[in-house]
Parts: sequence; C-alpha cells; structure tokens
Amino acid sequence: MAGLAPRVEYLAGFCCPLGGLAAGKPRVLCHGAEVFLSTGSELVYVYDREGRLLIAVYKFPGQVWHLELLALRRALYVLCARSGIYCLSLDQASRSVSRDDKDDRDDQDSEDGQVDELPVPVIPVHPDTCVLPSATLHAFTVLDDVLITLSQGPTQWKVQLFECPCPGEDPRPGGEIGEVELSTCTPPAGSLGEPTAPRFLPVLCCASPPGSRAPHGHPWGSGGVTLEGTLFGLLFGSDASLLESPVIVCGLPDGQLCCVVLKTLVTSRSAPGDPKALVKILHHLEEPVIFIGALRTEPLSEDVEDVYCDCLVALGHHGRTLAIKASWDEAGHLVPELREYSLPGPVLCAAHGRGGRVYHSTPSDLCVVDLAQEVSPWDLTQRDGAPGGLPSLLCPASLSVCSVVTLSVSSRAPEGGAELLALSAKGRLMTCSLDPHSETPHPTRVTSANAGQKIKELLSGIGTVSERVSSLKKAVDQRDKALTCLNEAMNVSCALLSSREGPRPISCTISTSWSRLQLQDVLTATCLLENSSGFSLDRGWALCVQVLRSSRALDLDSAVSAITYTIPVDQLGPGGQREVTLPLGPGEDGALDLPVTVSCALFYSLREVVGGALALTDPFKDPSSNECTPDVLPEQDGVCLPLSEHTVDMLQGLRFPGLAAPHTQALGPLSPARDPIHTFLETCCGPVSQPAGPASLRAKYLPPSVATVKVSAELLRAALGDNHAGVSLCSATLQWLLAENAVADIVRAQALSSIQGVAPDGTDVHLIVREVAVTDLCPAGPIQAMEIQVESSSLANMCRAHHAIIGRLQRLVMEQAARGSSPPDLRLQYLHQIQANHETLLREVQTLRDRLCTEDEASSCATAQRLLQVYRQLRSPSLLLL
Amino acid sequence: MAHRTLPGSSASHASCLDLWREKNDQLIQQAKVAQDSGLSPRRQQLAQDALEGLRGLLHSLQGLPAAVSVLPLELTVICNFITLRASLAQGFTEDLAQDIQQGLERVLETQEQLKARLEHGLRGLWDSVLHVSSLLPELLPALHHLAGLQAALWLSTDRLGDLTLLLQTLNVSQSRASEDLLLLLKTWRPPAEESDAPLTLQDAQNLRGVLLTAFAYRQGLQELITGNLPRALSSLHEAASGLCPRPVLVQVYTALGTCLRKMGSPQRALLYLVAALKGESTWGPPLLEASRLYRQLENTAAEIECLELLVEALSVAHIPEAPQLLIEVELLLPRPDPASPLHCGTQSQAKYLLASRCLQTGRAENAAEHYLDLLALLLDGLEPKFSPPPCPRGPCVPEVFLEAAAALIQAGRAQDALTVCEELLSRMSSLRPKRPRLWEDARRGTRELPHCSPWVSAAYLLQGHARVQLGAQKEAISEFSRCLELLFQATPTDKEQGPASSCEQGCTSDVALQQLRAAALISRGLEWVASGQDTKALQDFLLSVQVCPGNQDASFHLLQTLRRLDRRDEATALWRRLEAQTELPQENAAWSLPLYLETCLGWIHPPDRETLLEEFRTSLLETCDL
Repeated sequence: MAGLAPRVEYLAGFCCPLGGLAAGKPRVLCHGAEVFLSTGSELVYVYDREGRLLIAVYKFPGQVWHLELLALRRALYVLCARSGIYCLSLDQASRSVSRDDKDDRDDQDSEDGQVDELPVPVIPVHPDTCVLPSATLHAFTVLDDVLITLSQGPTQWKVQLFECPCPGEDPRPGGEIGEVELSTCTPPAGSLGEPTAPRFLPVLCCASPPGSRAPHGHPWGSGGVTLEGTLFGLLFGSDASLLESPVIVCGLPDGQLCCVVLKTLVTSRSAPGDPKALVKILHHLEEPVIFIGALRTEPLSEDVEDVYCDCLVALGHHGRTLAIKASWDEAGHLVPELREYSLPGPVLCAAHGRGGRVYHSTPSDLCVVDLAQEVSPWDLTQRDGAPGGLPSLLCPASLSVCSVVTLSVSSRAPEGGAELLALSAKGRLMTCSLDPHSETPHPTRVTSANAGQKIKELLSGIGTVSERVSSLKKAVDQRDKALTCLNEAMNVSCALLSSREGPRPISCTISTSWSRLQLQDVLTATCLLENSSGFSLDRGWALCVQVLRSSRALDLDSAVSAITYTIPVDQLGPGGQREVTLPLGPGEDGALDLPVTVSCALFYSLREVVGGALALTDPFKDPSSNECTPDVLPEQDGVCLPLSEHTVDMLQGLRFPGLAAPHTQALGPLSPARDPIHTFLETCCGPVSQPAGPASLRAKYLPPSVATVKVSAELLRAALGDNHAGVSLCSATLQWLLAENAVADIVRAQALSSIQGVAPDGTDVHLIVREVAVTDLCPAGPIQAMEIQVESSSLANMCRAHHAIIGRLQRLVMEQAARGSSPPDLRLQYLHQIQANHETLLREVQTLRDRLCTEDEASSCATAQRLLQVYRQLRSPSLLLL
Repeated sequence: MAHRTLPGSSASHASCLDLWREKNDQLIQQAKVAQDSGLSPRRQQLAQDALEGLRGLLHSLQGLPAAVSVLPLELTVICNFITLRASLAQGFTEDLAQDIQQGLERVLETQEQLKARLEHGLRGLWDSVLHVSSLLPELLPALHHLAGLQAALWLSTDRLGDLTLLLQTLNVSQSRASEDLLLLLKTWRPPAEESDAPLTLQDAQNLRGVLLTAFAYRQGLQELITGNLPRALSSLHEAASGLCPRPVLVQVYTALGTCLRKMGSPQRALLYLVAALKGESTWGPPLLEASRLYRQLENTAAEIECLELLVEALSVAHIPEAPQLLIEVELLLPRPDPASPLHCGTQSQAKYLLASRCLQTGRAENAAEHYLDLLALLLDGLEPKFSPPPCPRGPCVPEVFLEAAAALIQAGRAQDALTVCEELLSRMSSLRPKRPRLWEDARRGTRELPHCSPWVSAAYLLQGHARVQLGAQKEAISEFSRCLELLFQATPTDKEQGPASSCEQGCTSDVALQQLRAAALISRGLEWVASGQDTKALQDFLLSVQVCPGNQDASFHLLQTLRRLDRRDEATALWRRLEAQTELPQENAAWSLPLYLETCLGWIHPPDRETLLEEFRTSLLETCDL
C-alpha cells in the first residue's frame, strides 16, 4: 500500500447545503459507466462517466438514505426517509438519456463538470410508486430476490425479509417472508413524538457461504459478500453453513454487531422469530457502526477461481475497528480470531477493496489500511502476529483526500490497483485511482516521488510510539501508586498484629446508647476508631462492623447470619478519630434480642487498590487482553484485621424513665413503636376499665418472675476496690452492674440500691440489691453477702437480665481467682446438701417435662404449675458466690 | 356552542372552536376513509396525513392557554391522535404517555393546581385531575376516554398496579374499591358522549370492551402458564364471552382447549378445539393442541393426522389483514412468545414434529418420507421461507439429517440413507478445514473441528448401519472404525471450544457421547461376530462395557460372546453382575438421548435378553449340579 500513488480526478459537482454534506446519508454507486449518487437530499442523480454528463435526476418524496443496486434485475432500490423503498429500473434511467439531446450537454460540462444548475429535468417520483411503504425503515439491502430491511420499532430494531419487488411491479406488502426483533433501541424523543432524523443509520451486510449463490456479480459489489466456509461456520454456526443460508450482519448505532441466519427467519405475524434462537450477537463496538465489510487477506493460490473473503471487518465512528478471522489456537483448534484496532476517527465512511485493503475517510484524510497477510519487507517488525493471523498493528496510509462523505470501490480497477469513487463534503464527485505500477519495487531506492510518502509514514510511526509511551507511563505510575498503598497497608497490618499485649496502635471502642430515630427509640452502638499509630489509613481500608444477634448467636442450629456494615475509612491520619454510629434495634418487628455481639475489624481491599493497576494492560502489546480483565484477584480478596468485640446485654439495654435523668432518659418510656390507635384506645378506656392487654393481665394475675444471685460481700468489696468508698455496698454493686449504662451516674448520685427499669420491649425489669447474712455455710459464722434480685413480668427479659448479671459475676470471679484470694472455710456438708437438693430438683424437672408430653390437658395444667414452681426454686439458689 | 349568545371577543373564540372542531371531524373522516380503502400505500398515506393533521391541530390547540370551554375538544383530539398513532405503529410507545400527561396538565392548568401535583408522576396527576373533574362535569366523557387509553397503555406495559388504582378512582362513584382488575373493568361505565361531541375514532365504550377482553385473555394465559387452571378457565371464559375479533377468539378457544386438557377433560377440550377450527383464520394452534390431546389419549393415528393437517395448514401463506385504525385487542396482547402453549411454530417445525413422531411410533416409512420432505424444505431455494426447529426445544439441522438417515435405514432404504449421510458430511466439510499448506504442522495433523465431530461420527455410524443393511460387511466395519476414531479424538473437555451455540453444546452431552461410543463399538462388534471373528468382537464389547457402564446391551453382547468362546468363569462373573443390575431400576430412561441415537440403539438391542439370562441360569445350575 505504501507505494500506491493516488491520482485524483474530479468528475462533477453537486448541490450541497451550507456547511457541506453530512456523512451517513450520501451514497454513491457505480455500475459500468453509470454512477448513481445521492447527497442526502431528495434527489438521486444518474451520471455517465464516459460521457461525463448527468443523465437523469429523480426527486423522491423524502430524504434519500440509502441506495442499492441489483445488477441482475437491472434495478436501483432507493430508501426514502419516512416513506419507504422505491424501485427504479436501470433501463428507465438510461432511456431518459436518449430523450435528451446529447450535444448541448457536452459544452456545459466541459468547463468544470459543475452541474449545479441541473440542466436535466428533474423527474419526480410519485409516492404511489413506492414498492415497500414503511415510515420506520432505517436500512435495507438486497440479495438476489430477497429484500432485507431494518426498521426501528417502538422499542426494538426489527429485521424483516421481503420478496424483492420488481421495478414497476405493484407494491405487495403481503410479500413478507420473515421477521425478527433485535436488541432494544431508544428512539429519539421529539416533541409530540415527532420523528427526528437520526445521526447514524444502522448498516447491513449480507454474508453468504461459498457455493450458495450463483456466481454473478463481483464479490464486493452490492448484494453482500461471500465468506470462506471456515470463517462462515465459525461466525454463524453449523446450522447456517449446513443450510447454506446467507446471513445478514447488522451494525447498529449503539455499536452492537449482530447477525441473523436468513433461512431461519420465519413468516407471519402470528409467529415472529424468537430473538433468542435467531439473533446472535457477534460483538459490541461501543460506538456507532459505520461500516461492515469483508476482505481477502490471504494470498490466493493460482488454481482457485472463486475469491472468498476470509476476514470480516467492522468500523466504528470513533475509529475502533474489528477484524475477525478464522485461526488456530495452541491446541490446534479452529477458533475465531478477533482483533480490535484503533484507527484515527471520526470515521465518515469506509469501503473495502481487493487484497485486504480497507479505505476509510475522516474529515482530514482518506486513509487506506492493509489487513493482508503478505509480509512486505517494509514492515516486517509490525507483522509479529501469529502466522496466518491478523496484523497486530494497522498503519493507515494517507491518500491525501479530505472529508470524503461516501465511498465506493469501482469494479473497473486496473490489475492490482483500485479505483475509488468518492463524494466530498463539498459535493464533488471524484475518482481516486491507486495505480500499483507506480509502486517502487524495492524500498531502498528512495525516489523523490515516494520520499514524502515515506516521511509521512515515519511521522505517523513516531506518533504511535509516543502515544504508546504515554500509555505505558500511565500504567507504570498507577502500579507505583498501588505498590505504595500496599506498603502502607503492610505497615499497618504489622503494627496491629505485633501488639497483642497492651494498647493497640489502632483501636475501636464500642459504646451503646438509646436515641430516637423517626418516632422510634433505637439502641445505637457507637464505634470510635482511633488511630494512634504512626501510619495513616488510606484508600482501600474499610471498617467492618458485624452485628450478631443473640437469637442467632445462641441457636447453634441456624446458620449464623449477621449484619455486616462496611464503612470506608477515607484518610485517617495518625492521631485521627472516626466515629460510626449503627442502629442495633429494635428492628421493624419491634423485637430486640439482647445480647447482641458487635465486633469490629479493619478490612483492606486488594482489588480496590491493586485491581486497577492490574487491569491496565498495555493496549499495544496485547490488544486481545483488553476484553478480559485479569481474574488474578477474586472478588473478596483482602486483608482482615480484627479490632475489638463487644457484647451488648440487657443491663446495657435497660432504660430508667422513672429517674429524672439527663438527655437520653428524657426520651420517655414508650420505647417500641406503638400503634397510635392503640394508645388512643388505651387513654379512652383507661379511667373506666382496667387495661385489657395480655401484658397487663399477666401483670395483674401472674406474679413477676424472680431470680436471685448471692455474692459474698467480701468478694464484691475486693473486686470493686476503693472506687466505692463512702457508698453502701448495695449501691456500689448496683452501680457496678449498670456501669455501662447511662444511668450509672444517677445511681451513684442517689446511692440507690434498687432500681426499676424498662426493657427494650417495654416490660418492667426490677433490680434490687440487698445485704443478707448466710448463716449455715461457714463454720466461722454467718457470711455477709449481697443478694441481687431480678424481677420482671416478662420471663424472657428476666432471663436476659439474669444472664447478663451472671456473665458479669463470672468475669469478676475469674479476675479475683487470678489474684489468688482465698475463700473462707466452708461447711462442705452444707454444700453437698445444696448440691443434692439441686440435683433432685433437676431430676424432677426432667420427669415433669416428660410427663407434660404425654398427659392430657387437665392434668398437664397441674404439672405445668409444678414445673414453674421448680424452676422458680432453681432460680433462687441458696448458693453463694465467694 | 351557539355563538350568537356569546358576546364580543368570545364570538371569535367560539368560531375558532368551531373551526378546530370541523378540522378534527374532517381528519377523523379522512382516517375512516383510509380505514375502508384496504391495503394500499394510498391508505397508509391517508392515515399518515390524518395523523400529521391531528398533530398540527393539537399544536395549535395547545399553543393557547388552557380554557375549560376548549378542553373537551382538546382532550378528544389527544385521544384521536393517540389512537391513530398507536394503531399505525402497532404498539404503544413511551411518548404516548407524554401526550397523555400533557393533556392532564392542561386540565390542571385551568384549575391552577399544576405545581402541587407534578411530583407524583402520572398516577398522581390522574388522581388530581379526576378530583378536579368532579367540578367540571363537562370534561368527564373526554377524560374517561383518555383514561381508557391510559389503561390500554398501562395494560400493554404491564403496569397493573397503576391500572388498578386508576380504575378504582374512576369507579369511585359506583362501588367499593375492589382489587380485582377484571371486576373493575366490568363495573367501569364511561359516560356516554353527547350527540354533538366532536367525532372520535373509537369511543370509550368500545375501548372498554377491548380492554376487558384483552385483560381477561392475558390473565387467563398467564394463569394457564403458571398452572392455576381453574382460574385460567374462568378468565378465558370471560375473554371468550367478550368483544372478540375472530383471530383472538381462535386463540382463546385454543387456550381453553389446553386448559381443559390439562384439567383432564379431553372431551370438552376437543369441543373447544373444534370450535376454534371453525374460526377459519388460523388453524395452526388448535391443530397442534389437538395433536397433543390425542397424544395424551394415546390415539396415535389421530395424532399423526392432526400433525399432517398442521403441516398443510402452515403451508398456506398467511396474508395479514390490514389492521384497523383503532385500539384493537391484538394490540394489547402480550408479544407472541415461543414458549407459550399457543405457539405453533412454522411449517418446517411442524413437519419435523410429524416426522419424529412417526419415527418414535414405529411408522418408519412415513417417517422417512416426512424427513425427506423436511430436508427438501430446508435446503431448497434461496428464499428463506422455512425455519429449522428453534434450538432450545428441537434439534438442530445436523440432527435432522441424522434422524432422516436413521428413519431411512429403519424403513429399509439404506441407499437413500447413505446419500443423506454423504450430503451431511459434505456440508460439514467446510467446518473441518484442511490446514493451509503453508502452515501445515505434522504434530497437529488434520484434526477435525472438535465441536462438530459427534455429528460427523454419528453420520459414519449411520453409514455403517446402512452398509450392514446392504450386506457390505467390510465397508460397514471400516465406517464404524472411522466413527470410533473420530469419537475418541474428541475429548469432552474440547466442548467449550468453537462458537458452539447452546444447541450444539446440548447435543453433545457427555451421556450422549458415551452412548454414541458404546453404540459404535457394539455395532462393530456385531459385525465381527457376523464374520466369525469372535475375539475381535470380544474386544469391542469389552471396551463398550468400559466406555459406557450404564449400557446393559453391551454387557449382554459380551456375555453371549464369552459364552460362545467358552470362557465360563468370566461369563459367570459377568452374569452375576448383570443379575444384580437387572434387579435395580433402569436408570437409562432418565437420559434423553438424541432420537437418531435412540433409533440406532434399538437396532443393536439384543433380541432375547430374558431368555439368554434364563438359559444361562439353567446351564449354570447344571454345571453346579455336576
């Protein structure tokens, strides 16, 4: 291609609007000496190249969007916007010449070939002669005796097949053969649904398998391309090649490339084709498809007569180019080789020629690229692709013609060269001949004629290299950044993991409080993340807070399902703090199952930091890897560093509305969301009758559930230490129990020894601490002990509170044991007695429960009563914690 | 609108109003003329012109501030415009909703309530408009008409929740709010238009009927698909009793037939199908349904007859009637779905169904004929008149070839079967390319394209059987050997290679591949047996047992051969295993093999398995006794 010297010749000029012709709609076709041309207006010109004169001008009822020539039938098909397809007979077109006198034409065109004045009478085409009326047609093509159209439905593109109407024939809308809908499209919204002209029209290309069509017409003319059997089978499947069916390839303005096997399209409105079975999406260019074509890239062997294309090419508006070829993978399997290139855009139009050449036009230049396989000595370095494969890089060579809006490759090309028929934005029709004979046989012999060409190529090479350098630099920068981030993360992890003892450099403290959110009181946990290390937490770090509910946590059978909140930590420098508040409940069902376990951890996402750097591959080195982002990192990969865990139990969840308390307590007692109607009814009925809810009934008739724990006063005193000097031990104990509750201060201030609280679900919980003396236990005399009593009308809440108290006492005892304090002498016999009592009670529970299962209702009632009693006894052990 | 009573400037206003009204009436007349002028571009042009006229009229109406006196006309013009546009485009688009919205906003404009309600979307707009309209009773007929169009739009886009609320608001004067959309549609009474009202293309009463039928049918079909048969039945009955054009009625009757068949009342189902066939428009769906019914009743003759009629019915070119320039029931029906029970497919699909049923029910001659017809349909002519069976349900084209060959062999036409197989192989040859000479690689050799090799090997297998039938033993053995060679080349992991469609992947399941290998091995083994080379046969049978342990036929053939070779111990061991296996339930039934393979497996089925086992048992007992 390098040596193809273009020779441009202007043929004629045509009317064009101010600002020049827009690409997309003008068309130029040639058939023998006749050139058919439309500029996007209502007119179609027929121009005779030999006589260099305009033969005829047809005026259609709307803008002409597309022309197709069916040489076999000598018919020209014209798509007219919002009107339909018209068919003109070529004979009719040439007949109009004979009607005119040739002589007075010659001198007019001789000056400049300017035919602005339209010396030929304009022949109006009547709307009634439309062969396929349709307002929604956007593209069409003809294949022998089938007309394939693409129309825009309300929501989808639709491919339809019609029997090809002949010129002059009556329109037969009944000739539809089949239809199928393609992907969705978004029609431009005009006011009142007024249709606006689309900027990009879809493009169609008909691909046939070898042998399916009678060998008439040249392979790159109108009526589609013939692909090699291998590529055809690979692209369109074995069904298409077995049926030897032509396939229509559609390139849509949204960038989608899809294909439909024509023989599988079905007929009739009642059974349009199933798009899932019939439409296959080949690729997505992600920019409007401007051109689809096919090429022969491999050298032809001498004995083969038919030229079949072995490479399918599609061009997008911004220059993205797709080439598909049949190729072999490492295992020797036949696979389609897809390669994307980037050509300079915006592409106005394109055409394919012989020998693997694709011509494409931009506003600044008309370029030719060569996808052919032959290894020319000039660019051996660029052909490092697999043998038989596609070149890894395309080097556009300029033909020095600018803003060509439509192109057509003439069939009258000289051997080895090509002749292009082009229409420029200024409305000039020209031929551009590429003569192979001017090509220099050896690149060493640089003549002045091709020196400029060579310099241009070198410059373009430099441009590509600099582009590549900048892209590589960007990739390196990104990797550097990722490495810095990783290093920082390593430091943080090491600091956290190495400091098991003592204060951790990064800590998270969790506290709870009640607050009112949208008419409902909610227990919230506040996690305070403090960074006292020397490193900063950067991008990629996140604080994960897991909230584990007790119903799940205690139930071993159910799969543990917890809510995990992930909060990105954005730039937490040394010494910085971040506070996060989360609702713990009650949830929408009004239930809050305490205890709730809140655990905090720091998570470092590798994907977020490193993924970007990995995804950025060198686009020049390996274009095929652009499609698949590296799967080196699984979705969840990261580093997780546990920080702290905190259990929120009943004692922390209690509220004490009865106490005149600061801020939080002022929230009022009606904690769970209550039905306003219920409240209203209650207030209405209140003075007259007793409250009638089951809870109040229970409160009235059932004694509250009670549980007690006894702890030796000495133990408590030792544990509480000096903090509680000056207060009675009862109050100090209560204060200790409620230490993590907001009420602790009031308890201290008022020196309370009993307190009435409200559980999250609204039932009362009563905590009483009193001094008792245990006489029988110790031979040395009565032991001073504290009795902690929990009372609640709700058994569940009583249990929760009891559980929380026991938990605290357990911890206390463990700590004291570690300190090595010794218990006083005990009367072992008495302890044995207590243990024996308990064992009998437990045994009784067992038998009672067994009986409960088998008995009838009347006696089971009594059993249940007894069972409750036993439970109550069990809950008040005379055992003492020492 | 007597303008003499209106003084001054109002007079011109009134005359202007009259002018607009005349324009509307004239455009509607034009559309009705277009309606009656049959299928022609002229009609299209007339309708398009009328549409443009209405658009222009609407523009001029909406160019002025909204006025209560003009609004009824304006709303009517909007209704006409939407009706014409939707019927011309054969569907509803989103910008029709915009047109409706604009109309509603104009109503609110007169009440100066516009800003308050805009954020609630179209539904909120309707609420406030209908609230306002109680103050403006003269707007009611037009508003109900517009509401009907809104209902049609929402019905076609499946926004049933919005639709229910709209109808509840419209019905508020008549009954308590109901959730049942069908009931709501039934109780909705659009007020009658006055005699001097501007012309409409379709009035609200008519629209309501269309909505009722369309909704009942949609609901019935939905219930039918989800399997809620009694409710489907009642909905479909409702649809059948409504305003129903003939093609829709055929569909409704067919759906009723399907429903009743599934409910176990075949006789009643048949009555509905007969009624549907009297519809004289589309015979396909009822005939297909009838064939299913007869299949369920195990009346094979009638089933085949139905399918034959179906093929014939589908060969008649369907000439679509010109759609009316109205909102029709068809416009509101869900898009035809190939998965729907009413989908009858194309002629070639029906032909395939017929052929495969013939083959399955043992009518091999008929099957062969039908398969040959089908191949002719598929391959002849360039014009794409015929479609292969859709992939998810039916086999793909190579399998049709293979089944045809199998049917021909079954019918004793081995020569024809050979031709079909050769045709398949030649057509597949482009998919098994020779490597280009330049890059020929000895290591890679000329490998087959992996994804098509199961079909190619199946073709060789069938060719082998055809040769067996022709008595050409040597050729048969070589065909089987080629088949095996290919089969063992294609490892199951190769399957993801190549652009295999979902269908191609489905056809080459592991189980099918195993069975294919076993079938080829057994076939070759049987030929060795026939030519007296028992040791070679033994090898093949042994291999087939290894390749496909689930295939009991292989074990039986092996047992027979072992017995013939007098290898008692091995035979006894095998027999014990077989005895144990036969007591277990047969699991082969769970796999669905391609039809050609099943047919082929039928040929190599040992004829007398039970007697063989019995004989063996007695002989074994005798030896034990000795």
